[in-house]
Amino acid sequence: MIKLLAKLLRVLNSETDPGQISLGLCFAMVAGLTPLLSLHNLVVLLLVLVLRVNLSAFLLGLAVFTGLAYLLDPLFHSLGLAILTAPALQEFWTVLYQSIWWRIERFHNSIVMGSLAFSLGLFVPLLLVFNLLIRRYRQHVLAWVQKTRIMQMLKASKLYQTYETLSSWRPG
Amino acid sequence: MTKWLRWWGLGAFLVVVAVIGLLWIVFVDGWVKRLIENAGTAVVGAQVELDHADLTVFPVGLTLTRLQVTDPQAPMTNAVEVARIAMGLDGLNLLQRKVIVEEMSVEGVRLGTSRTTSGAVKPVQETTADEKGLFGISLPSLEVPDVKTVLQHEELETMRLIEDLKTDLKQEKAAWEARLQDLPGKTEVAKYKERIRQLKAATKGGLEGMLSGVEEVQSLKEEIDRDVQALKDARKAFDEKIALLKTRLEQIKTAPKRDIQHIQAKYNLSPQGLANMSQTLLGSEIGSWVHQGVAWYERAKPFLEGAQAMRSREGGPEVQKPLRGKGVDVHFPEEHPLPDFLIRLARVSLNLAVGDLAGTIHHVTSDQPTLGKPLTFAFGGERLKGVNAVTLEGTLNHMVPAQSRDRLTLKAKGYELADVALSKDAKWPVTLQRGLGDITMDATLQGRALTAQGSSHFRALQLSAGVSGDTNPLTRSLSSALSGISQFSLAAEVAGTLDQYDVKVTSDFDRILQDAAGKIVNELAARFGDELQAAISAKIAEPMKQVQEALGEFHAIGGDLGDRFAQHNEVLNSLLEKSLPSKSLKKLPGGLKLPF
Repeated sequence: MIKLLAKLLRVLNSETDPGQISLGLCFAMVAGLTPLLSLHNLVVLLLVLVLRVNLSAFLLGLAVFTGLAYLLDPLFHSLGLAILTAPALQEFWTVLYQSIWWRIERFHNSIVMGSLAFSLGLFVPLLLVFNLLIRRYRQHVLAWVQKTRIMQMLKASKLYQTYETLSSWRPG
Repeated sequence: MTKWLRWWGLGAFLVVVAVIGLLWIVFVDGWVKRLIENAGTAVVGAQVELDHADLTVFPVGLTLTRLQVTDPQAPMTNAVEVARIAMGLDGLNLLQRKVIVEEMSVEGVRLGTSRTTSGAVKPVQETTADEKGLFGISLPSLEVPDVKTVLQHEELETMRLIEDLKTDLKQEKAAWEARLQDLPGKTEVAKYKERIRQLKAATKGGLEGMLSGVEEVQSLKEEIDRDVQALKDARKAFDEKIALLKTRLEQIKTAPKRDIQHIQAKYNLSPQGLANMSQTLLGSEIGSWVHQGVAWYERAKPFLEGAQAMRSREGGPEVQKPLRGKGVDVHFPEEHPLPDFLIRLARVSLNLAVGDLAGTIHHVTSDQPTLGKPLTFAFGGERLKGVNAVTLEGTLNHMVPAQSRDRLTLKAKGYELADVALSKDAKWPVTLQRGLGDITMDATLQGRALTAQGSSHFRALQLSAGVSGDTNPLTRSLSSALSGISQFSLAAEVAGTLDQYDVKVTSDFDRILQDAAGKIVNELAARFGDELQAAISAKIAEPMKQVQEALGEFHAIGGDLGDRFAQHNEVLNSLLEKSLPSKSLKKLPGGLKLPF
């Protein structure tokens, strides 16, 4: 838990572009909320690695959103089932169903469809919200957080220092 | 733009993918092996083991080495052991979890191989070994049982009927004696006579006096009529009861014959015991083979129909039963539907004790409704050890699960039989030393309705029967008859359902045995019958005498009823004769008609 908090604070307090952090979190949302072993997550992984996305934010977000996914499964199931059985979309789904790649993607599974639709739908709005929140945080809260006792304790801890040292070796 | 790209990420992605691929290649063989073993064990109900599984990527294929399927009824034996199975897989379909095998080669199939360790996954029900041999012959008894001992242990129908009749006679007698008390008798007759005398005295005053007594005469006549009617009804009921009791007595007289037949059959001293011996002996054996076949069929059936069987075949999207946390798969119509598992063609070579058989199996699938083709198979072999030629063909059609139709045809020509123990009975062992058989069997299963016909002809037979120094005339006679048999035919018919079926076996073997032993058994049966007849007659003599005496006592009751009836009629006539001044009235023109 401390490690997770330290990670979060470090990411937020760094000079990293808020867009990179937000994008990392949003990609994490897609990968975390949808079943991990899905074909689209291979694409997400490729984008996360090729685009200059903050990897710490992605990994942190992945852990959080994966946990959240278990709670949201009933919602994803209902949403996915509604989308897959919507009369207006039948023809479209039937065309996709003939493609082996889409079948491998398992778009016809209610949870895959529900979670993917949910996470893609929230992708852009959340990207903007995360961006805004990070900027506001850095502008109004960062200085106060740096002075808090918990932050001082964290900075003084051996774990944080080690983490700082290791992190500094990591590129961009 | 480059601010947003990191090219080393592409390399990292490739490394990640390569690592995943490498891990898959390293572990997939073990995963496939465990998958096959676990799924097979669950299906068969006994351990299914695989020495090695090798999944190749280029081209996509799977090779299984030494597959062992334990016989659930004999855990130290493999029902099937296959040396090598090689198959080419459709890679893209495999990625979407469909196992589509275009061609499979199954080599070195052996049946009934022994295992080093037990393959049981659950306790095996102990079955007692059948020591009777192939044909567990139980011959008619060869000794006349002691009649006294037999009768001590038998509940004779005759005795039961006698006791019942005795009880009923006693009850009926008491009932009729009580009824006689209530019926009009001598007292009533005397009273009527007295009243008639008084009436006669009152009518001496001529026609005027007679007319004044008409009302009294009418009343008296009605009373006597009622009594006569009551006696008439009682007599009728009595006659019916007596007739019934006499019928029962007649039935008792024929009961000893039935008792004798029953006892003769029970002690196997009926010549009918030899009339259909092939049914008695082979019926259960063939029934046991059918039972084993049905058990294996029931195991395989769910995999012929698969989960698709539960799905409707209409074009709309179909939702499968949801699994918790896994969601549900919504299925849409496919242009070229394929089942989840399909082997289009399997070439199989069987290494049996008799030699090698080769054959093909088409369309092995877990989902025939989707494939739209039935499973077909054909195996054959020629010049095998012990059989000239054998063919096995069949179709398992479960395309419409509710109207499934399976068919199996087996033909074997020149099947050599050697040293087959037909009976291991210590008193009369029978061994088929040598012979040739031609066997044809055709079985059809429609839904759960099973019909099967089998016919076989055995020739060039050499049978040995009996033991040296046999003194028993029956077994000596049978042994002699069997030694002379050089050929016989056998027909079997199975009909019913998978749960309940009847096996009928007919053979000219029966006639041969009956001809040989029928006379001896008949003689023994006749002797036993005579002894039984004498013993039963002696046993029932006294009770029968008692019954007849009890029945004789009813004659007195019948006589009494008759007397009472006659006396009342006499009184009635006397009333009509004596109460009327007939002489003067008869002189009137047309006589006098009384108003009653």
